[in-house]
Amino acid sequence: LPPTAIPANLAQSHQDPKNSGRAAFSEGIQMKATTVVRKLAPIFLVIAFGVLTNPADAQKPGGSITVGLELDIPGFDPLKVGVFDTSAQIAAALIFDTLTYLDDKGEPQPKLALSWSHSDDFKTWTYKLRPGVKFHDGTPFNAQAVKANFDRQKDPANKCRCAFYISGTHDVQAPDELTVIYNLNDPVVNLPATQTFPGVNNTIQSPTAWKTKGDDYNRNPVGTGPYILKSWAAGDRLVLEKNPDYWNKGHPHLDRIVLKPLPDAQSRFASLQSGEADIVWDDEYDADSIQKAQKDPRLTVHTYVGSGATVYAFNTKVAPFDDARVRQALVMAIDRKKMSQVVTNGLARPASNPYGEGSWVKCKDDGALPFDVEKAKALIKDYGKPVDFKMLATATPRGRTIGQVLQQFWKQAGANMEIEQVDQATIPPRAFMRQFQLTPWRIVDFPDPEPQIYANFHTGSAVALANYSNPELDKLLEQARKTADAETRNEDYCAISRLINQEAIWFWTFQNTYYALSSAKLKGLPKLYSGVIDVSNVWME
Amino acid sequence: MFGFLARRLFYLVPVLIAVSLLTFLIASLLPGDLAYTILGDQATPEKVEALRQDMGLDQPVWWRYFGWLGHVLQGDFGRSFRTGQTVLQAVAERLPVSFELMLLAEIGALAIGIPLAIACAVKSGGAFDRFMTGSAFGMLSMPTFLSAILLIYLFAVQLRWLPATGYVPFSEDPIGNLRCFVLPALTLALGEWPVLMRVLRSDMIATLQEDFIAMARAKGLKPSRILLVHALKPSSLTLVTVTGINIGRLIGGTVIVEQIFALPGIGRLLVGAITTRDLIILQGVVLVVAFGYVLMNFIVDMLYAVLDPRIRHGHA
Repeated sequence: LPPTAIPANLAQSHQDPKNSGRAAFSEGIQMKATTVVRKLAPIFLVIAFGVLTNPADAQKPGGSITVGLELDIPGFDPLKVGVFDTSAQIAAALIFDTLTYLDDKGEPQPKLALSWSHSDDFKTWTYKLRPGVKFHDGTPFNAQAVKANFDRQKDPANKCRCAFYISGTHDVQAPDELTVIYNLNDPVVNLPATQTFPGVNNTIQSPTAWKTKGDDYNRNPVGTGPYILKSWAAGDRLVLEKNPDYWNKGHPHLDRIVLKPLPDAQSRFASLQSGEADIVWDDEYDADSIQKAQKDPRLTVHTYVGSGATVYAFNTKVAPFDDARVRQALVMAIDRKKMSQVVTNGLARPASNPYGEGSWVKCKDDGALPFDVEKAKALIKDYGKPVDFKMLATATPRGRTIGQVLQQFWKQAGANMEIEQVDQATIPPRAFMRQFQLTPWRIVDFPDPEPQIYANFHTGSAVALANYSNPELDKLLEQARKTADAETRNEDYCAISRLINQEAIWFWTFQNTYYALSSAKLKGLPKLYSGVIDVSNVWME
Repeated sequence: MFGFLARRLFYLVPVLIAVSLLTFLIASLLPGDLAYTILGDQATPEKVEALRQDMGLDQPVWWRYFGWLGHVLQGDFGRSFRTGQTVLQAVAERLPVSFELMLLAEIGALAIGIPLAIACAVKSGGAFDRFMTGSAFGMLSMPTFLSAILLIYLFAVQLRWLPATGYVPFSEDPIGNLRCFVLPALTLALGEWPVLMRVLRSDMIATLQEDFIAMARAKGLKPSRILLVHALKPSSLTLVTVTGINIGRLIGGTVIVEQIFALPGIGRLLVGAITTRDLIILQGVVLVVAFGYVLMNFIVDMLYAVLDPRIRHGHA
């Protein structure tokens, strides 16, 4: 199957309107296509091959659902809100479309973009856009609109917090109506995958709408998505109705979706039990509700173990962490299973590398240090000096519990940790200024290890928190982000993990696991990538 | 009467200034910084510095306070940095919800408290009176977050009579609106009625021993008429005070209840503003709550004067 350019309109006709949803790709064709593309293609091209068979579940059109979110959504104007939190992303997945989406195997698939290709150095990416798509306000979606979205966020005069996340893209060009070119500062081998999640940078909004509505745009967003904003009461219901002109014919299934912030975990779960909400957001710290839902035949627990993890960084430039023995001892003293039991009733999954089960990176040997208190004691004894240090912890019950558990583990190994409780927002600036000995951090679920792994471990990067420099590690990191071949990349990332684990400059406690609890009748929910409950294609049985 | 009113109104000003100053100070003493919160995971020292200058956070607290006060006096309470909404917009959208909740809660508390108080006062020291004293203390010591969850479990999850969470505007569906307020209002009322009951009961016992009651009895008036017409009004002075103060207290109670029942009221706005460090909204909401509290006390004072003319003429 040589990579040939297939005209956009032909590609579109190949798409079966019913089954271009996430689960609809035939495994065989898809696997073959990606292998071929990865191995051969200097021009990277992916076409959506729709499959003509119906899945076992009949998708029932009509009806409505209520989604229980955790927080109030502040709005959708990137310049106003800066970033979308999970609640906003759940709504954004309905109102807006992205260029690409991530299928259940973690491969990027066409959404507003039909196909893409890249230059040899992975610094220029060209997308062919889907023709005939319109925003909810009737204006056309085209290359200029994509460029306008990017330019508005990138413009230094707008001082948008969102600009940070697109700092790697130099500019976006729109040479014609349906072609968009991304010019990057650094190579990105997997750009289409990184543009899949419905965050502030990836969702395409209507330029006409934000220009005409001004300050009101924030609460009156306009996209091309499957649902149109109908009404929104402050701090309360956000009502969305089916977009009758949605480009993906036969979609969406539901007529109406109501999003409600339900801040209290217990009453949120009660709302699900009583049927007022059909699906609710949850996390493993609410283990009680999750375990109750697992036993309830009327409810379904949707779980996704993502990539990334809850992580901690040692400042290797200050004592006692300038000595590898101390770092190794502390890591070996952590009993993650016991910790999971205490903190989340056993739900949290131990992490041994920064990639996690949800990542495509799979390591036979990630170099993780074993849990071994005796070895830890011996290492500290070997170090010879007393080990006293402070760890930053968020001033929340959760942060406190985790701190106390670690404190106990380390005490057994002969080290004294003092918990320094700080406000959540204080941790990033302290981390940036390296004013810590040990700090918690997070590697978020993302379709690719880049850009986080490079940023967290390459010498000189702002978030290379360990203050650690190793030419071998730098070389591996530089190589991994430029390599297209998946197997070679996988090997590089495993080598990186081994190096970090052995040197113990960072350590990982738990993998990122995301939860949604729903009525058993709710079907068609895709994986909870980045914790986003994407209900754009669900239906009720 | 007019002078009394004017004097009372004048007292409001220093109270409001003190409240706003205190909130401003507490908010600026909180660890962390608004610039950190806004910048989140990109809070590099240079960016923080630039943003602080941009927002005037590098100015001393007193300077910022007077700047804010100056704007407030011109009717400009500022905008949320998160949503771009003005404080007045945000408060105006949310206030009706909290107001309805407080009103229904107070009505509920009075509806439970008054009949029980009368029943207890009639046979004070009797078995029912003693039982109610015990229950009143029991209810009084039950925190709202506990009674809220118990009520949700019973009426929403088990019986499925009422919604566990949510809000429907009155204009959209009056019945649905009242249904969604039943459990939150009841939660608040359960914590309020014991006080009202105890207060009215003891005042009523005292009133029932007055000569004019004996006189009414001697004239052969119906006991129910004596209780509800002759005895209730003179016994209700303390009740009015407590009801008024309770409404002020309820503003605090609604914070928890709105959070649990997901009502989009002013309490939720307040909690949201605290967790997101939206200090402009926080300031505005606290000022509104303080104003409501002070205004309630003012109204209670006025009601006194209506109920007892001696106060109006300064003889009390």
